[in-house]
Amino acid sequence: MVETIGLFKDYKVGKVLFPALRGIDMHIGDGEFTAIAGPSGSGKTTLLNIIGCLDVPTRGDVIVDGTNVNTLTPKDKAELRKEKIGFVFQTFNLIPVLTAYENVEMPLLLLDIPANQKKKKVIAILEEVGLEDFINRKPNEMSGGQQQRVAVARALVKEPSMVLADEPTANLDSTTATEILSLMHELNKKLKTMFVFSTHDKLVMDFATRLIKLRDGKIIGDDVK
Amino acid sequence: MKIVTIAWRNVFRHTRRTIITAAAISVGLAAMILMNTLMNGMDKMAYQNIVQYETSHMEVFAEGYYREEGIFPLDTIIENPAVLISKITAVNGVKNVTPRVKFQARINNGIDELPVLAIGIDRELETEVFQTSRAIVAGQYLQTADDLLIGTELAEDMDADLGSFLTVITRDRNGTYNAYDFSVTGLINTGHPLFDRNAVLIDIALAQDLVAIAPGVTEICIRSSDDTGLQELKHDIASAVGEEYEVLTFREMNASIFQISGFKRTGQTIVALVVVVIAAVGIVNTMLMAVMERVPEIGTLKALGFHNVDIMKMFIYEGGIIGIFGSLLGCLCGILFSLYIVVVGLDLTSYFKDMDIVYPVKFIIKGELDPGMILLVFLFGVVVSVLVTLWPVRKATTLQPVDALRHT
Repeated sequence: MVETIGLFKDYKVGKVLFPALRGIDMHIGDGEFTAIAGPSGSGKTTLLNIIGCLDVPTRGDVIVDGTNVNTLTPKDKAELRKEKIGFVFQTFNLIPVLTAYENVEMPLLLLDIPANQKKKKVIAILEEVGLEDFINRKPNEMSGGQQQRVAVARALVKEPSMVLADEPTANLDSTTATEILSLMHELNKKLKTMFVFSTHDKLVMDFATRLIKLRDGKIIGDDVK
Repeated sequence: MKIVTIAWRNVFRHTRRTIITAAAISVGLAAMILMNTLMNGMDKMAYQNIVQYETSHMEVFAEGYYREEGIFPLDTIIENPAVLISKITAVNGVKNVTPRVKFQARINNGIDELPVLAIGIDRELETEVFQTSRAIVAGQYLQTADDLLIGTELAEDMDADLGSFLTVITRDRNGTYNAYDFSVTGLINTGHPLFDRNAVLIDIALAQDLVAIAPGVTEICIRSSDDTGLQELKHDIASAVGEEYEVLTFREMNASIFQISGFKRTGQTIVALVVVVIAAVGIVNTMLMAVMERVPEIGTLKALGFHNVDIMKMFIYEGGIIGIFGSLLGCLCGILFSLYIVVVGLDLTSYFKDMDIVYPVKFIIKGELDPGMILLVFLFGVVVSVLVTLWPVRKATTLQPVDALRHT
């Protein structure tokens, strides 16, 4: 569960203060498949970053699974990300020197899990995203769609309570984007993991079961399909 | 997979850059090892030359003689050496003892004349304390009172060979001139510049006559059974001979030489450190580049839940791996170059042939490898590499995750 209460975020651009978020109040429940949509500069990525504890709000509260993240130290926030949050980025952000298997294994390095169980989890999630035959490939030996599948597997391998995906289809063609979204939707249904997307892609909005619309840092619409 | 595995892979992202950085470290460390080998060799040669030819482990003088040794004060000598020798021989730890008579002289071949140090030696006892007889490269050791041993270089300067007649001219303790014709019976090559270039060795009895000090001697040279514990032995001998005499160890008599050795080592360390600092700047640069180009990756790691300390660990491992490579290469090169100096030696003759230096070694210097020093140098290289990595890494890990992810 994620809740934001009176969330504001200002950026300083030179001497000018740019308000990216202007009072966001929202609640996203467990297992939801939500898209935060809006044009460029509407504040959707900023909102996602704050929910994911990658950035700090200027004021307001973010509550993740009952914990107000404002009260957390950077170390505690890292712990929260480690345990509960998975990320999928627009540019995939895979570690280039590691294979698909090793990239997916990365989040598990930080968790106290026996080696054989780690291996089972990694193989299982790679099978889930259809990359069982690509486990030894490095990112530069895979297509964009395959790389994003690895990123999805990496986000899900530790079984987080939520996956935050920032423009996950922006660098993919429409066919691959559809495949990736279908995959995420299936996993959402199967694993009951909350997915939150920031996007301006119509395709993502079509897949989402809830659509929160942002404009100029404010929510202008919240539709549940 | 472990963090160290990731660090290992990262090190080889840019193989050429890694090799250049490691090579910079290795040059510094190889220089350190090489200089240390050279200094060890010089010190060992100096020690051997001093103990085997010049002073032995320690010497006994009449009180006051050593302070004026430079002018060979024949008024301050050991007047009755036989009694003293028996007292010294009785001291536990003394292996052998021999008297010497040293005086200033000039050597003349009928055409040229050169100043020399004349050393009167006891033909039998001398061989038990010094290696002089083993340094003969032509002819034979002193057999009669008329025989003379000279160094190969002095023989060359005097245009003398075996059988040549040379006149030794000196003034006795009363100031009267004395001269004696000797026949060159042996040529010595000790490796000690003083003996090979500037000294003549004659029978002690004749030396005593030439300077009119019989039965006196200028010094008694002592060889101990063991190199260690010389200070203790010195005290025992001093107690045995009494306050009219002074006992000095070879280190005390050559303090300036061992001080020079200390200065040289300091100089060597400074030069090597400068090279290592330059190498360290190389590592900082490499790590800075590695960190800067991987800031978004650091952001990703942070997003995955990696703590700053985990990320720092990864980069420190990278610095450490480069350091280990560089240090191994440096030690290997240092050992290889050093082995050449140990086996073949470094011939500096063409640079210093006509130069007089204080250091009692000649110009083919053989090095001595110190395994302990190599281990230290290796550890030093690795530790420096790790330490200089901390700064760029610290810089990167202080970024907010979102700033790191946005970094281009």
